[in-house]
Amino acid sequence: MTPVQPLLEVRGLTKRYLGLTAVDDLSYALETGSVVGLIGPNGSGKSTSIDCMSGFQAADRGQWFLDGRELTGLAPHRIARAGLTRTFQTVRAYDELTLLENLCVAAQENDGVSWMQALLRGKTLRGADAAARARGLELLATVGLANYADAPAAILSYGQRKLLAIAASMMPKPRLVVLDEPVAGVNQTMVRHIEEVIRKLNAEGVTLLIVEHNVDFIMSLCSRVIVLESGSKIADGPPGLIRSDPRVLAAYLGNKRAAELDAGNG
Amino acid sequence: MNAISVRALAFVIGLMVLFAIPKLTGNEYVLALGISFAALSVLSGGLNLVYGYTGLLSFAQVGFFGIGSYTAALLVTEQNWSLWSGVAAGGALATAVGMVIGYSSLRLSRHAFAIVSLSFALLCMIVARDWVSLTRGAMGIPGLPAPTINLPGGMRWRIAQPADFYYLLLGFAVFAHALIYGVVTSRLGRAMRAIKLNEPLAQSQGINPLAYKLLAIALSALLAGMVGGLFVFYLTIVDPSIFDFYYTETMLIMVIIGGPGSFWGVLASSAVLTAVPDLLRFTTDLRMVLYGVVLIAAMLLFPGGLGGWLHRRRVARWRQPRVAP
Amino acid sequence: MRPRGRSVDLNFYAQLLLNGIVIGVIYALIAMGLSLIFGVLEIVNFAHGEFYMLGAMCAYFLTVNWGFGYWPAVLIVTAVAISLGCVLYEALLGSLRGESFERSILLTLGLSMVLQNGAVFLFTTTPKMMATGLSYSNIIVGELRLPLSRLYALGLGLAAFAALYLTLYRTRVGKAMRGVAQNRDAALMVGIDPRAVSRLAVAIGIGLSGLAGAALAPVYAVHPLMGFSFVFKAFAIIIIGGLGNVSGAAIAAVMLGILESLVGGFLPLVMVDALAFISMIAVLLLRPQGLFGRGVRV
Ligand SMILES: Nc1ncnc2c1ncn2[C@@H]1O[C@H](COP(=O)(O)OP(=O)(O)O)[C@@H](O)[C@H]1O
Ligand SMILES: [Mg+2]
Repeated sequence: MTPVQPLLEVRGLTKRYLGLTAVDDLSYALETGSVVGLIGPNGSGKSTSIDCMSGFQAADRGQWFLDGRELTGLAPHRIARAGLTRTFQTVRAYDELTLLENLCVAAQENDGVSWMQALLRGKTLRGADAAARARGLELLATVGLANYADAPAAILSYGQRKLLAIAASMMPKPRLVVLDEPVAGVNQTMVRHIEEVIRKLNAEGVTLLIVEHNVDFIMSLCSRVIVLESGSKIADGPPGLIRSDPRVLAAYLGNKRAAELDAGNG
Repeated sequence: MNAISVRALAFVIGLMVLFAIPKLTGNEYVLALGISFAALSVLSGGLNLVYGYTGLLSFAQVGFFGIGSYTAALLVTEQNWSLWSGVAAGGALATAVGMVIGYSSLRLSRHAFAIVSLSFALLCMIVARDWVSLTRGAMGIPGLPAPTINLPGGMRWRIAQPADFYYLLLGFAVFAHALIYGVVTSRLGRAMRAIKLNEPLAQSQGINPLAYKLLAIALSALLAGMVGGLFVFYLTIVDPSIFDFYYTETMLIMVIIGGPGSFWGVLASSAVLTAVPDLLRFTTDLRMVLYGVVLIAAMLLFPGGLGGWLHRRRVARWRQPRVAP
Repeated sequence: MRPRGRSVDLNFYAQLLLNGIVIGVIYALIAMGLSLIFGVLEIVNFAHGEFYMLGAMCAYFLTVNWGFGYWPAVLIVTAVAISLGCVLYEALLGSLRGESFERSILLTLGLSMVLQNGAVFLFTTTPKMMATGLSYSNIIVGELRLPLSRLYALGLGLAAFAALYLTLYRTRVGKAMRGVAQNRDAALMVGIDPRAVSRLAVAIGIGLSGLAGAALAPVYAVHPLMGFSFVFKAFAIIIIGGLGNVSGAAIAAVMLGILESLVGGFLPLVMVDALAFISMIAVLLLRPQGLFGRGVRV
């Protein structure tokens, strides 16, 4: 068997803030088509690690590759264009743009239309715009926001904003999507809805890395879970094994999530 | 007829009326107001592109305007360049300077950009006053000759009468606004708004904020520099007062009142704010005091401006309970 | 004035150096206040130069029209400026919150327009000379002629710097101020009242500006536009020193004052004017966070 090249490979990622090591020598690889969870107690470095990977924070050490192409040290927009998109823990949207505009913006740097073509409004532009609109409407239908395509994003509820952000992260047809806490703070119905959306998108071939607090959500959705504690990886494997891993239980001990893990186990 | 063609018709008629004004009235005061409007609206339109659409508060516009003025005046009078090449050189120099300012400060923050752009504008005035060997200092260069333009067919248009300047500046303003309109209604303008609304989100979607910010700065600098180069021959003198803060304050008020990020709003407020204070014969100091008060009141009472108000109305409309199916 | 061709004597340099230090200390008074306000409130006070102008104007009227002496005038102006700072905070700046950087600029710009053009309207742009006995007194040291007014300005500047240092390091609220400037959220969490801290920062900043105006009134001509040309250097200085870094601003200010004075001794005036701006651009290109980085430090 020849080893398949992983879609994402992270080697030795390290990020320090004045005396505090937020991410400590983190390494892992993701296979194409998988849905992988990244969990860990609050402050364990999950967001910081994806901020580094997506270029929003400068890593102190480490390298990372998408499809064998090195992304280390690139600016955020270059990493996005290379095919790695992300959502933010503090959910972000363009409040004054319509939902459809929110999505079309997200695709416009990846469709090869130059500034000149955009200004002269020729055939290339019209084709690209039509394609973006079609894809935008399709994604809005997938996340269940099609009725609001022409509404400003400001009208959306918190959970709906998370859905919009997920849809936007899919617009440029990325290779890998990283979702930072896609269901934190949303109600149970919405959690199930978001879970459905993620399954659907994965079925269409998107690889996802999901950062979450909600252990149940991760356990039911992911084929593999990576666990961080104080910036280091302490476990990596299928959900079943993670649930019984002593180090993971210890990390969550004294935390009410230990109970959650047990409950899920039983 | 649908709404779009009604608007297009109104627009064409409006333009025809504007261009017919010198034929309808020989009144030089009306023409002078029209010339001021043409020049100021290009400045406010450029500022709107940079601030209203891209979110960068720039004080450098008056610097670009003055650099264009000095460059064109010096090249045409001392080097015998033609009007258009002088004006183009003024625009090009303003653009180059704008890129240097933008590139150096934007890598730090938009705070730095605001500060650097203001310092730049003040520096321009001082340099114009003190670099006597180039600019002839505080006295400036008076008596600029009436420029001539070679028209197709071997005709020469000597721009000497107010009506000539009116046509020239209005024509340029139409060109400038068409360019700005083309940009802001394109996907480039959409990316600029995205950067203004949420820069990290835009970055995460592959948008390079620095590139779009520099584009906005470059375009506004080009237009401000060129309109400066044309306007200066109407003034017939260029001196350090071309960099006067008066222009900065005027164009800022035009953008704030018209609504940052609103193309037609800023165009309309430019027209009103050119005409009204002039008709009321305010002295410049008093006008500036009033503008200052308006600015403070606008920031305290309507922080979102016209755009914010329209946005809130749109949101409220969408939030209204829909009729049940 | 400018020795050319023959050997430049030491006294000439010493004179330039002294002038440079005096002007640098005055730049520092203005720039430190600007930087402190930015560090604590994240507001760039575009009206800062106007308070310098008002300080000079007030000192002029107090001495020339009302017969006050130099020192009482300086004291009164500083006290008035500090109170004005409190009023400014309560009336205008206190209502700004969060992501309102552009708004704060436009607000203070509006204030600057009102103050500056109001002063033009009331007093015209004619420069006024505050011709008191002080303006013409000199101290002779060896072959050096030291104008007393400049020495007083220097002394005042150094005293103000010492007072600011003591406030920031020896008082509770001063420490809180440094805390907020270094880490806003953390400082808010330990229960510092952000309004009290911000108000004090604005009061100190405006107070320093007024003091600078009063101190320099006998040195330069007083007129409504004087703040304008001065403050653009202060902006350059706070970028060179590192935005929000108060002592960085002080050091950059003195360096700029000395450099300008030396350059002015030999090169055309326009080079002096451009020095601050060119240094700022160079710093931005080579070391964007400023020579001394961010944060209130002394
Ligand atoms: N900008 C920052 N400056 C200093 N410390 C930070 C910063 N961002 C995060 N941290 C620290 O890094 C650690 C990891 O944070 P984070 O990645 O947000 O954790 P998680 O997303 O797993 O909850 C925390 O201890 C946090 O306090
Ligand atoms: Mg997090």
